[in-house]
Amino acid sequence: MKIRAGRNVILHLLPLLVPFCALFLTGISITVLQSFNIGFGASPGPGFFSAYQEVLDSQFFYSSVLYSLVIGLISASVSVAAGIGLALLIHNTSSALKKYTVIYKLPLILPHITVAFIVLIIFSQSGILSSLAYNLGFIDGTQGFPNIFYNKTGTGIILSYIWKETPFAALMILSLLQKLDNRYIQTGKMLGASFFRNLRVLIFPHIAPAVHTTFIILFLYSFGAFDIPFLVGESSPRMLSITVYDLYFRNQLSARPQAMAILTLMFLFSMIFITLYTRAVASLNPGARKV
Amino acid sequence: MIRGVRKGWKNSLRKDRLDKRRETGGRHRPKGRIKHRPKGRPAGRQDGYTLAVLFLVFALPLILLVIYSVSSAWTFPELLPENLSGRAFKYAAGQWENIAGSLISSAAYSLLTVGTVLLITLLPARALARYDFPGKHLLDALLLVPVLLPVMTFSMGIHSVFIRTGISDTFIGIVLVLSIYSYPYMLRALIAAYMRVSEQYSTTARNLGGSFFYTLLHVEVPMLLPGIAAGSSVVFLVAFSEYFLVFLIGGGAVNSYTGYLFPFLQGSDYSIASLLALLFLIIPLLLFFLLEWTTSSLYRKRGLET
Repeated sequence: MKIRAGRNVILHLLPLLVPFCALFLTGISITVLQSFNIGFGASPGPGFFSAYQEVLDSQFFYSSVLYSLVIGLISASVSVAAGIGLALLIHNTSSALKKYTVIYKLPLILPHITVAFIVLIIFSQSGILSSLAYNLGFIDGTQGFPNIFYNKTGTGIILSYIWKETPFAALMILSLLQKLDNRYIQTGKMLGASFFRNLRVLIFPHIAPAVHTTFIILFLYSFGAFDIPFLVGESSPRMLSITVYDLYFRNQLSARPQAMAILTLMFLFSMIFITLYTRAVASLNPGARKV
Repeated sequence: MIRGVRKGWKNSLRKDRLDKRRETGGRHRPKGRIKHRPKGRPAGRQDGYTLAVLFLVFALPLILLVIYSVSSAWTFPELLPENLSGRAFKYAAGQWENIAGSLISSAAYSLLTVGTVLLITLLPARALARYDFPGKHLLDALLLVPVLLPVMTFSMGIHSVFIRTGISDTFIGIVLVLSIYSYPYMLRALIAAYMRVSEQYSTTARNLGGSFFYTLLHVEVPMLLPGIAAGSSVVFLVAFSEYFLVFLIGGGAVNSYTGYLFPFLQGSDYSIASLLALLFLIIPLLLFFLLEWTTSSLYRKRGLET
């Protein structure tokens, strides 16, 4: 029984709407205003769009955008795919042993900076895998091991995100997987469906909402986050977040509007991405619950 | 919850139990936990592989941190460190005031964040779960945005407002910004919890003369506890492990463990860095055991199933 009630609802929502407007919306607005050289410490002067002009004129910006997009896409897609696998693995574990599978949640309680550190000690050229490869005779020295940190490919960043985010994806997907009646899958098997056909026809449509939500969250997170690239990132090309940080804190005050312009563009991109992605998902399977 | 009395043997069983409860002053409970026989297939070799993979991928890296923390150095070609040493522990013991101070500070602002978030989301979650109003779906989506957007986009703007108002570099500033960043997790958990609880309990309580807030606190909140616990643990973790926001808004004036840890992770002494990274886990693990214990004992006390 749902009640229609006007004033009551507004009173209910106020405790959240006030801080939401006062902090979140104000924060965004200030970012946008400062990108137009308006107010709050930014020097007045060279016109509304000068920051955007400077940002869009620099080659550096485009390489940064591309780099962030690629890293975000790869780490989100791999995490979600691995998360589906992990969720299925855990779901199919015998209930006698299921309680031990909680160890998959360990990366969830670690901060991002620790995750990057762990990936560093394992995968660096003098790291643990490198030592293992040396002792097994695969490589002759540290130079034989592929250098994945501080190079242009961003592999170190991607690996850190994947290790941290796969359990998150699995957690989100498991909550839906548990609601799937196992008899569907058994019926599918009895009718001769292969594992992959079952996955595509039965399991995936069922977990799709979690998959899409998780993908959006993870993509936008790794696209714009700061912690991991700050610890193990390269100096060129750079993630957008690091570029913003440098422009804002390590440059002259006059460069701050540029930092805010990049943030505004990131904000617009994120909103457009969320809208388009949810639209695309909705049009793929009309009638299904939106993300 | 007491259901309608059924006929037959179950009824007499229930009667027995009720009689016994009366004799012992209502505190009788069967000794030991009832063991449920696991359903489904028995454990097989495949489960062994699964657990081995999970252990290798998710637990072994933490064990590497443990090995690092008890070694003096673990350099390139060694498969295991040659010398064990308590060097990192000695260092940590010498620095215990800094370590404990920043751990406590982090725990304090994270707990305050959980409290703030709970306060600001409880009623909105109630409205979003129970009322229909125009624009509900839009609002629902809009309120999720802080967790989807890159943090920097709003936090840098908030930062300049905080500098203006003098909240920057303070404890309150950190709690505010962390709350705005993490409340969607609690909101979602609470909405889901409200959906699971029948509205009729509240109606009954109101009909019996309970005020709105009395009903909220004594009827609804107890039933929402599983959702509150789930939301709180996520919010706590997000706040406790956040580095950038605390570093931006706190500006080094407010101690935080992530801020303390960061330079060590960047440095070249992996032994100390590993130990400090492991020490981080103390507070979350402690709180989760505490939470688990309090909720289960609370439920047992009320005679509800967990």
